Amino acid sequence: MTKEIINSRKQEVPLQDDNSNVFLQVMVCIAVFLFGVTLAGVLSVNAMLNAWNESILGALTVQIMPVVENNQDAARAETLRQQSKALEILNEWPGVEKAVPLSDKQLNRLIQPWLGDGVDVSDLPTPRLIDVKVKKGMQINFMKLAEKLSKDVPLASLDDHKVWLDKLIRFADSLRLLAMVVLVLVVVVTSGAIFYCTQTSLGLHRQVIEILHLMGAKDTYVAQQYARKTSFLGLMGGVYGLVLAIPTIFMIAGLAKQIEGGIVSETTLSLADWGIIFSLPLFSSLMAMITAYYTVKHTLVKFM
Amino acid sequence: MIKNVSDVDMIIGMQNVGIRYGQGAEVLSDINLDLKRGSFHFLTGKSGAGKTSLLSMMYLSQKASRGIVKIFGRNVTYADRDSLALLRRKIGVVFQDFRLLEHMSSFDNVALPLRVCGMDEKEVRKRVTELLQWVELDKKIKEPASTLSGGEKQRVAIARAVINRPEILLADEPTGNVDSDIAYKLMKLFVELNKLGTTVVIATHSEKLITDFAYPRLHLENKGLKIYRPVRDIHLAQGDDR
Repeated sequence: MTKEIINSRKQEVPLQDDNSNVFLQVMVCIAVFLFGVTLAGVLSVNAMLNAWNESILGALTVQIMPVVENNQDAARAETLRQQSKALEILNEWPGVEKAVPLSDKQLNRLIQPWLGDGVDVSDLPTPRLIDVKVKKGMQINFMKLAEKLSKDVPLASLDDHKVWLDKLIRFADSLRLLAMVVLVLVVVVTSGAIFYCTQTSLGLHRQVIEILHLMGAKDTYVAQQYARKTSFLGLMGGVYGLVLAIPTIFMIAGLAKQIEGGIVSETTLSLADWGIIFSLPLFSSLMAMITAYYTVKHTLVKFM
Repeated sequence: MIKNVSDVDMIIGMQNVGIRYGQGAEVLSDINLDLKRGSFHFLTGKSGAGKTSLLSMMYLSQKASRGIVKIFGRNVTYADRDSLALLRRKIGVVFQDFRLLEHMSSFDNVALPLRVCGMDEKEVRKRVTELLQWVELDKKIKEPASTLSGGEKQRVAIARAVINRPEILLADEPTGNVDSDIAYKLMKLFVELNKLGTTVVIATHSEKLITDFAYPRLHLENKGLKIYRPVRDIHLAQGDDR
């Protein structure tokens, strides 16, 4: 059907004069804009999830809670002693490639979004963190390690980032669901608009269509003219929607970057993701074409 | 399946056909008709007698309310839409109100039946240009139909009806808007097409045409149809050698 429609160039039904053309383009523009932005959101969360998954897989964090007492120097010394003990256990643990404590500078950078610049963590009872890298292909007995640490280093706790990851997965799932809802709504509303605009147009051009029928035109001949025109409108509406969606995606990405504050890694869309987003006008064009084609075929049965 | 001879010869057949619009009374009743392939008939009757209704059944725009209509030997009552479209391609029609596509040029209007059939554009250009020259509209080839005079529109309508050499040519007052010279020329065209095998039915009020071209007449009166043979034939049948 698509090939026939593209090859056919005759346009006896004067569809270019229809008032509904602008309305259809605006509808498709809004649809593609909404779906484009939502899709970009889903794809970037997926990308973020993958990046997290890769960095988290094979990494653990051990947290040493600070010792609190009046003598700050003694408390700090005890905290560091516990950190050394934990490092000792970790570096000897089977499967651990290396365990490295985060420096004061790194800790400062982590708490900077909350406490601002110019705060020295060494003056505060902040937890110490140890970054543990697991050997490639090795698995650590997480339960046993946690047990050993809690026994020998009571202030230590082990975090395998699962909680964070689970939350992110739940967020990504919700976003995917939202995208599906948006997609369904967008398709239903746009198809509905195309259906009613096409029916109105058929009524408007009834005399021309009857002449075509009298000359021996099949319903398909008329349907192809509608499909071709509506496909073009769908394409143009889609391009306008995309032109609006792209700066919006960059704007949202910029805002997200500001609020990330180093908690999550920066998200970027891959070339393939952009490929999907840029193909949306083609999708809208195809959808418009199919809807118009079958609307005409369905409606012309009531004609001469 | 072998068709019987009458089916092959009969190009338009009607048996007890009636036609009504909505819930109104029948406009035509008990029409029985058997037009043979290659015949030429005038269709006459007073205004409102049902000439256009009868023609519209012949060109498959209107379905009979009752009875059987056969075109090219095929009962069209239950034919599907695509089959009707294919049958219409073999029927050329000149409408009383021309029914041109006003937004399109003379060329595109005449080309329409060929394009609908999917003919190659080169062949379309050749045929349409030739025919428009013949009807003396070659200077108006690119003019939109909306800018043409009544007579010019009629010639475009006739050119469109004959462009694909139809097997049946139906014309509703085809010479009503043209001067007598062009009317005569157009009638000669219909006669030539008829000689080539086209079955022709021309609805007209013009007694002069009927007299000048001695063909049988289908006359509509009191919702029914009567067939009159031309006076010359009657004389011949009676052995009159005048």
